[in-house]
Amino acid sequence: MHSENMILKHPLSVRIFHYLLIVSFLPLAVTGLILYFKPFSGESMNLTMQIHVLAGVLLTLDAVAFFLIGFERVVLFVKRVFTISMNDVKWFAVLGGYPQKFLLKKKVPVPTMGKYNSGQKLFGICVLIGGTILVGTGWILWAFPHNTPREAVALMGTLHTVFGILLTVFLPVHLFLGIYMFDDFKAMILHGRIPYDEAREQSPLWVEKEVIPLNK
Amino acid sequence: MENKRYDYTENPFNVTRRQFITIGGIVVALMVLPTVWIKELVSNRNRYILARTKGLYRDDEKAKIRVSHANQAVAGYYRDFGGKPLGELSEALLHTKYINRTQGLA
Repeated sequence: MHSENMILKHPLSVRIFHYLLIVSFLPLAVTGLILYFKPFSGESMNLTMQIHVLAGVLLTLDAVAFFLIGFERVVLFVKRVFTISMNDVKWFAVLGGYPQKFLLKKKVPVPTMGKYNSGQKLFGICVLIGGTILVGTGWILWAFPHNTPREAVALMGTLHTVFGILLTVFLPVHLFLGIYMFDDFKAMILHGRIPYDEAREQSPLWVEKEVIPLNK
Repeated sequence: MENKRYDYTENPFNVTRRQFITIGGIVVALMVLPTVWIKELVSNRNRYILARTKGLYRDDEKAKIRVSHANQAVAGYYRDFGGKPLGELSEALLHTKYINRTQGLA
């Protein structure tokens, strides 16, 4: 009945935020790893640092603009990722059914989810907290290292490294699962829309409780 | 234009006014608190620097000799060895050459 119907899952503001996030975070992750392992000579490392800073400035502008312009989306996102129930525990117990699907070619019952599944919620929490810490510490380490006490700068350096590695490790998993859920991938990268039936299967609680017909 | 191509959307009232104020307040507070903490750290550091500067000025005020030309040892050097300040002999004895040692540090 709903096979032709589409739901607007990712509005334009969210998509633009996500485009800029891709353009800034991918170079940040790559240059961050290069800066951590230092495989190149001095000149190449300097260039790497310059790219890292430039991408960091872009990420900051993107995050600050979205925080100010789309604050209601930030609040909604925080509400969603921090709304935790027994369903999330059950989801993690079977890891969303993905290992069974990929390794055993078996479909196991998975608890019903909202807009984000439990894995996406965990990733969202890490991105929200880790991203904020990375932006804040990055600016102090780059722009104000001499104005800030040495111990605080050392602590910020450690936090920047730990959260940078954490988010970089998450990145390939996010990329793989993002592309694997191809309708959602197209929605985020192209037009924002997802088929109603697909959404009802992936995010039944979201469709049931948060989605409304456009004409009503 | 975009809304012609979809039939459903998210309910804009997914967040109640009370939830919006609570969650928004917590988010803003968590953003502001580290800023206050860092500002406090920098101010404390500046307080140490100001205290140190004040101490140096106090020591300076207490010192008997506060300028080099009133220093008997410096005056004795020029009288017995250097001739006059900025003189040829004085430059030969006191002037140092710049040597770039940064290569050795790298």
